[in-house]
Amino acid sequence: MVRTAGLENLRVGCMIDVFSGSAHESDAKDFDTRGIVFAAEKRP
Amino acid sequence: MTETFAPVDVERLRSEVKLKYRDVATNPERGFHFHVGRPLAEMLDYPMDVVDALPPRVVESFAGVNNPFSMGELRPGESVLDIGSGAGFDSLLAAQMVGPEGHVTGVDMTPEMRDKARANASLVGLGNVEFVDGLAENLPLPDASVDVVISNGAINLCPDKLAVYREIARVLKPGGRLQIADVVVQKPLPDDAVADIDLWTG
Repeated sequence: MVRTAGLENLRVGCMIDVFSGSAHESDAKDFDTRGIVFAAEKRP
Repeated sequence: MTETFAPVDVERLRSEVKLKYRDVATNPERGFHFHVGRPLAEMLDYPMDVVDALPPRVVESFAGVNNPFSMGELRPGESVLDIGSGAGFDSLLAAQMVGPEGHVTGVDMTPEMRDKARANASLVGLGNVEFVDGLAENLPLPDASVDVVISNGAINLCPDKLAVYREIARVLKPGGRLQIADVVVQKPLPDDAVADIDLWTG
């Protein structure tokens, strides 16, 4: 989707189990939900 | 993935998101289905010396899902857009990084979050940041106007994600970059879960 929008050089950082210990943990585990971070650039 | 527009009632989804995040802004200690505040910032590996230098009310309504600054620090003088800026935690950190020659625009559709973000900016004494009303799918900024787009836990709440990324591409200057934190699900979602607004808003 990022590339489809015209962005490039996609880099993905760490994933975090951000819902661990929260009330949303059960739903998050059901779908293996994570907090992700990524970067990309617009062509110069 | 070819379908980018989720099968939900868009207006109802936005209304529910606003209600949820109104509570996060005005009553952050209430307890939510997701983490908020200082414990969350620590979990996401924000530098706690920087976080603890902020007044507690600047941090208490933070509701991100990762750390967009982990993909690279912002440079002095850069112009930054924060999509779904909430109570302004990331925007204010960005404003500190870009300094007085830089500028940060936070866009958020929840009035109580924008009000709190403006109050937080005043509390910290930062004049290089503003908070405006808007939707991620229709950003209130000109073409090619920002160096960096950041966002933290907001795009997953948008029903048309491709429209969001097209808007990001539109507002970025050539050579500009995005640093986005968001939620991913690594198992297929059944149709009833995709259509369940309670699951969208947590």
